[in-house]
Amino acid sequence: MPTITLTNLTKCYDGNTEPSVNQVSLTVEDGEFMCLLGPSGCGKTTILRMIAGIEHSTSGEIAVDNLVVDSVHQSCFIPPEQRRIGLVFQNYALWPHMTVERNVDFGLRLQKVPAQERKERCLDVMGKLRILEYADRYPSQLSGGQQQRVALARMLAVNPGVLLLDEPLSNLDATLRLEMRAELRRLHQTFGTTIIFVSHDQWEAMTLANTIAVMNKGQLQQIGTPDEIYAEPSNRFVAEFIGNPKINLIKLKESNDKPINVASHILARQSQAESRLAEVCAIRPEEIILTDNATSHTLPMTIENIMPTGGSWVIELSFGEDRLFHSTQSRPKWREGDQINANLPTPSLHFFDHDGNRLALTDNDKELDNLLLSSALPSHKYANQKHTNQPYAKQA
Amino acid sequence: MLTAAEQKKPTLWQRARHLFAVARHEPANLIGLVLAIFFAYLILAPVLSILVDSFIVQSGDEARTHQDEGSFTLYYIVRTLYSRISEILLWQPLYNTLAIAAGTVVFSMSIGVVLAWLVNRTNMAGRAWFATALIVPFMLPTWTFALAWTTIFKNRTVGGQPGWLESLGITTSNSVAYGYFPIVFILVLHYTPLVILIVGNALRRLDTQMEDSARVLGAPSRTIAFSIVLPLIRPALMSAALLIFADCIGEFAVPYILGLPVRYDTLATGLYRALDTRQNGVAAVIAAVIMIIGVITLLIDVRMMKEARRFVTVGGKGNMDRLRKLGRMRLPASGFVGAFVLIGVVLPLLTLFLSTIMILPGRFTLENFTFDYWIGSNLDTVALSKGILLTPEFWQAAWNTIVIVGSSSMISGVLGLLVGYAVLRCSFKGVGSFLRQITFLPYLVPGIAFAAAFLSLFAVARGPIPALYGTPFILIIALVAEKMPFASRSGIAAMTQLGKEPEEAARIAGANWFSRMGKIVIPIQAGPLATGILLPFISGIKGVSLFIILAIPSTDVLTTYSLRLLDYNYDQAANAVVLMIALIAWLGTVLIQKISGTGLAQGLEN
Ligand SMILES: Nc1ncnc2c1ncn2[C@@H]1O[C@H](COP(=O)(O)OP(=O)(O)OP(=O)(O)O)[C@@H](O)[C@H]1O
Ligand SMILES: [Mg+2]
Repeated sequence: MPTITLTNLTKCYDGNTEPSVNQVSLTVEDGEFMCLLGPSGCGKTTILRMIAGIEHSTSGEIAVDNLVVDSVHQSCFIPPEQRRIGLVFQNYALWPHMTVERNVDFGLRLQKVPAQERKERCLDVMGKLRILEYADRYPSQLSGGQQQRVALARMLAVNPGVLLLDEPLSNLDATLRLEMRAELRRLHQTFGTTIIFVSHDQWEAMTLANTIAVMNKGQLQQIGTPDEIYAEPSNRFVAEFIGNPKINLIKLKESNDKPINVASHILARQSQAESRLAEVCAIRPEEIILTDNATSHTLPMTIENIMPTGGSWVIELSFGEDRLFHSTQSRPKWREGDQINANLPTPSLHFFDHDGNRLALTDNDKELDNLLLSSALPSHKYANQKHTNQPYAKQA
Repeated sequence: MLTAAEQKKPTLWQRARHLFAVARHEPANLIGLVLAIFFAYLILAPVLSILVDSFIVQSGDEARTHQDEGSFTLYYIVRTLYSRISEILLWQPLYNTLAIAAGTVVFSMSIGVVLAWLVNRTNMAGRAWFATALIVPFMLPTWTFALAWTTIFKNRTVGGQPGWLESLGITTSNSVAYGYFPIVFILVLHYTPLVILIVGNALRRLDTQMEDSARVLGAPSRTIAFSIVLPLIRPALMSAALLIFADCIGEFAVPYILGLPVRYDTLATGLYRALDTRQNGVAAVIAAVIMIIGVITLLIDVRMMKEARRFVTVGGKGNMDRLRKLGRMRLPASGFVGAFVLIGVVLPLLTLFLSTIMILPGRFTLENFTFDYWIGSNLDTVALSKGILLTPEFWQAAWNTIVIVGSSSMISGVLGLLVGYAVLRCSFKGVGSFLRQITFLPYLVPGIAFAAAFLSLFAVARGPIPALYGTPFILIIALVAEKMPFASRSGIAAMTQLGKEPEEAARIAGANWFSRMGKIVIPIQAGPLATGILLPFISGIKGVSLFIILAIPSTDVLTTYSLRLLDYNYDQAANAVVLMIALIAWLGTVLIQKISGTGLAQGLEN
């Protein structure tokens, strides 16, 4: 099964001044399930279209299984029909003049698969995607979600080694989405297909993918396992983009004029290096610890708002003008307006510098911090806490 | 291999070679190039030869110009533009032509848009029936109307058989019988169906979701009509307007019949007269003027297309028909549409039909009626001893018409689709816009001038191409060239509508170019393709100017046959032939609709 390598891949559409994909390098290993995640217009579709060969690159290189399929330097381009890569289009691109069944078996017919086997494979895949009953309808007679499943079935029937999926589940309801997700996972496990998957939905990305590549404005921001991306966002964009409710951001550099606020509380406990370089500090809502008792490491805060979100709660906290959000999966015992104490454990804090890049703590710094902290709260305690509060259970 | 790509930006040369590697896998590039060469020869060469003629001393003019035949001269330009007779030669006809074209565009657009909306988007009574009936005037030759008009309104200004009103004792004034008013009236009747077709198509393809979302936002119907629907169909409106305008500039038959008796000249009739009186140089200048008007039209068109490209919506998806309830206006609306059908279809056809069974015009007594002109035998007329349905020449001409016009419209329909394909897919922008413009070029050239140029170019053997004059081939290729504007426009529109995605999806599935064309593009485009064949067929069958010059008796077609009968003053037989032309055009429409299962009134019935 194939590996896909992109090297400094850049695409600038004719007439655009800004490249839609800018110097993207990444490798999708054989059998990997990678998700491209990013806001609208960041170039996800463009990358998929270039890998499939519908669009050509402006510079850089694409290799599938060590075979260069598109390279400006080598003046090489292999057309999509010879690449044997499956692509499910974002807006389906079903053939309006063919029934659902003909849409699905078109690829098999082209491959001259015998009629009997073709029929079986079609029925099988249509059954799995729950579109068997629409086999004789035309695409215009289907709902958006049904069309989307036909588009998926059309590719799955051929069972290509590489499958590119452009938001293949965006139009489905929650139940169907779960089912289809399971189906995709199963497919991936059974055939070992290399899958690149585009999604807006981080939850979907977290649950499905082995690897997530986060993009913004055509550039790759971070690539890593769902856990890495969540726990160690490599820059401010990733930190803010991943996580729901959104990560709390605390601006550190504007704090000078205010006597006491969250920023000064945090800075008071940080190493010299960090307080000098860090511009912004961030903490995930579930990592804030609320207690009744005040210690030297807590901040007194007011509960402004408690919002149930079905099995979990989001609590809005205020300290002066600063607002923080906390989320928890156990029913909060406080009421709105209560005064409580919030602990922002240092190991859970993310620091970003002026350019938004993550400030890496050196071992020295960590030791120092731990020494300072150990008297107040043993660090393993909130390590535990952190684990149970993690909303995205790690995938097996 | 990673390092190479990582190290430096690609050079210009590498980029060019890469683009070539990409383009190599896009057959549209090859198709585009082949078509470009083909049309350069078929269309550009005749046009250039006309332009060159206006600067070259023509044979017979040596004495006047004091120069040798074939040498460079400005004589014709000066004579046509600045001399004492330039007013008659050029300026007055130019003014008349523009006035006719403008009047026709304004009136046919206003009426056509209303009719298109009524037929496509409302629950007007009898809309399925009207959808077909409204198209009929477009299937009739313009000069059918002109003949019907003279049958009724002809006055003493010209000789021959009198008009009905005249024989009933009512004298019609010249301004009603001839000139601007009847010409515009007839052209409006003729071109309104074209507006209905083009705008109706756009209206039907318009995704109702767009209107719905505006409605959801609380927009009143008026706002929706003016800020959503109108802008979206504006490309269709503009393209209809331009087609009609350009067509009117070149219109020959109607002003020939209705303008000439009162010396009301247009550029096309002026051109014909110049050719007829062997003033080839002057004719070339007039032709050039017509072409300049056409070039301006073309420039507007190019700009418009640029604009239209920005909001191409994704096609290929079905949309639901949603009809506006007219309520109490349901019947009055039908009355309005019915009136158009009455004036545009029933009255002219009835008039013509009655004229073919009346011995003396305008006398409505029983003994004046006879079917002899259709099926009689042993008639006492000199050249026509049988009714036309029993005359072998008639059947030969009918067969010629079907073969010549049928095959040329097939060819132009397929070429049109290929042009559309190449224009939208070709990697080289230049080839695409060259194709767009060159296929539009025949519109700028009046049919008469085009035919003359074809005659001079293809009458003798040139290179690998043998002499074609006297064969059906010269008519076929001339017709193909003449009909390319229609065909390529509908091809481009269809391919734009289709978008790239269905084909891209087929490429992903591993389909090579032939499978893609055969299984995806052409089947999806069956409807537009049928239209692209049908329109040239209908307009070709009634064409006059090309045939007048290029046909010889052995390739006689129905139009030339009927004109000859008219020359002999066999008005009844001539009108009978004209009716048969209308019948064949109508049958052709029905046939193509049956074959493709779609066509003009497509989607209206269900
Ligand atoms: N054919 C095109 N011509 C010019 N610009 C384009 C074209 N296609 C895309 N773009 C631009 O390239 C950028 C990336 O587009 P792309 O479709 O890859 O975004 P995306 O990440 O898939 O977004 P979404 O999540 O909304 O689907 C956008 O800014 C878009 O405007
Ligand atoms: Mg996209």
